[in-house]
Amino acid sequence: MVVDGFMSGRHDVPLAQELAQPSVNWHALAPELVLAGAACLVLVADLFVPRGAKWVAMPLSAAGIIGTLAAVVSLSGVETTTLGGTFEIDTFALLFKGLFCVIGLIILAISFHYFRAGHPYQGEYYFLMLSSLLGGVVMSSARDLVSLFIAIELISIPAIIMTALRKGDARSNEAALKFFLFSVMSSAVMLYGMSLVYGATGATKLDAIRSSIGRSGDDPIIVLSVFFVVVGFAFKISAVPFHFWAPDTYEGAPSPVAAFLSTASKIGGFVGLLVLMFQAFPDVADNWRPAFAVLAALTMTVGNLIALRQQHIIRLLAYSGIAQSGYVLVAFALIDPSSPQTNRQAFASALIYLAIYAIMDLGAFAAAVAFARRGGTYFISDYSGLWQRSPALAVMLAAFLISLAGAPPMAGAWAKLFVFLAAINAEVYWLAVVMGLNAVIAAFYYLAVVKRMFFEAPEIREPVEVPYLMRAAMGLAALVLFAAFIYPPLISDLADRSIF
Amino acid sequence: MVHPAHPPDLSTTQERCYKVPDGYFGQYVTIGIFAVVGVALVFGTLSLAKLVRPNVPAKDKYTTYESGIDPIGRGWSQTNVRYYLFALLFVVFDVEAVFLFPWAVVFERLGTQAFIEMVIFIAILAFALLYAVKKKVLEWL
Repeated sequence: MVVDGFMSGRHDVPLAQELAQPSVNWHALAPELVLAGAACLVLVADLFVPRGAKWVAMPLSAAGIIGTLAAVVSLSGVETTTLGGTFEIDTFALLFKGLFCVIGLIILAISFHYFRAGHPYQGEYYFLMLSSLLGGVVMSSARDLVSLFIAIELISIPAIIMTALRKGDARSNEAALKFFLFSVMSSAVMLYGMSLVYGATGATKLDAIRSSIGRSGDDPIIVLSVFFVVVGFAFKISAVPFHFWAPDTYEGAPSPVAAFLSTASKIGGFVGLLVLMFQAFPDVADNWRPAFAVLAALTMTVGNLIALRQQHIIRLLAYSGIAQSGYVLVAFALIDPSSPQTNRQAFASALIYLAIYAIMDLGAFAAAVAFARRGGTYFISDYSGLWQRSPALAVMLAAFLISLAGAPPMAGAWAKLFVFLAAINAEVYWLAVVMGLNAVIAAFYYLAVVKRMFFEAPEIREPVEVPYLMRAAMGLAALVLFAAFIYPPLISDLADRSIF
Repeated sequence: MVHPAHPPDLSTTQERCYKVPDGYFGQYVTIGIFAVVGVALVFGTLSLAKLVRPNVPAKDKYTTYESGIDPIGRGWSQTNVRYYLFALLFVVFDVEAVFLFPWAVVFERLGTQAFIEMVIFIAILAFALLYAVKKKVLEWL
């Protein structure tokens, strides 16, 4: 539904008519409205509850996210646009809105005990988390440069404050400062690119940009602006060589926030990049496809090679997350508007990868947080003999690491295989070979942790106490990954229907 | 296969790619004149002033100008960190004013829906103020 006269700037119509309210489809905006309302409610409720009961912010947030999820479900099957065509509801948008809600719920489960243990800023944390999540939910529907930019800033800015929440800790401050500086710089570069796109095409809506580019062809300014926008997003998704902030920030931030950054924040960046590359710039793909191929190969290889040397589980997951970004970037290197089949497959493989990555990465972070909770550490050497201390936790962490490595019997195997097959079908063999080699390198450091847990003697014998909430989160995540391995249509069908 | 009778006309592409517009280099002269006049103006006026003014050095002349009052303390002075909270709160009202003013100008033509929307907007900003009040930001210790 495109609203006539909305922001059209026609001067021949009388003022009163021009100011006519754009008819807003409130149902289409329901998930955002519910989530924004929940965020405000959490912040206000936190002001009025006594000091000992600050934890109620978490159940409130969970209720808000479940309400958002309900609004998303109520929209299923709807295809519409609102706000003058800048905001679109389709299966793609709904799939990612749903994914962000699921990520939010798992993050809440990871955060609850971490922040309840004497942390002074519980209400603020949940408020910021919901705000950042709102950015992701908006991002899924944004089909306009301005709304894309607002969405990515809405993801980043609360995330920066969340990183700095451990105010007394110098590492947390350093992490937040690094994140802030990189984030501001990448936003500036991205905004510059977007302004060039607007200057060259005169449009901010993605479909209008595409049709305008189709006429002007290989204008150097288009190539330059796409380059700037891609560099801006590459910072957000921590692709090599723009990844330097990620490991330090993840390590210094409160661990649940690191989990949030490596999933919700990163996937938000990928959603924006997917929409831009597949909807606005596919016709000039010949110009930027090689750049993505190099970016993907570099990101996979550098991420995996540095991960080999890590002694700290959060840093290991940070570098592994960088490498995982590289696998998703492969899909961008396959875009070919002249071959719809290749294009569809590349797009679907990226969707599947992101969905599975979110679940398995969150699972691994949850296990790391659970292990470090009571006097434990984040050092991998301390994981020795975890199988003898807490068999359930060891099995869970092993399951997530095996999934991240892309080995059966977890869904991570499908994620890698689909991207691999897409590369083979697009006849980009060298990238497929790089991917294969990287999977082998990655298996080494993931399985090294597994070996340590199962085949080495523990130094202490006490079991690790894991709260029920985290057990439930990890159990469900592992179950979903296993079910998706056994029955892949569970995820591939969703992705297949979400292609625009 | 029939070849074209004459080779492709390269002159047009040549013209488009390499031809410098007429009077292009002439514009450097304008820039040059501006630069020379600008530099001459600064040095000219300063040296002219030096020639005609009396020279009476005095210690008081080297003190910091503070609107005619004798300066107190040193150049580095500390500001109470609590002021930053007021600066932050100012943003709340500033944003409110920025959106309220254009809204108020056309309010009569917009009707009830716009009124409700503005109430929601102000309510959200009011949350920020409520937060500040509850966190005792407005109390000066």
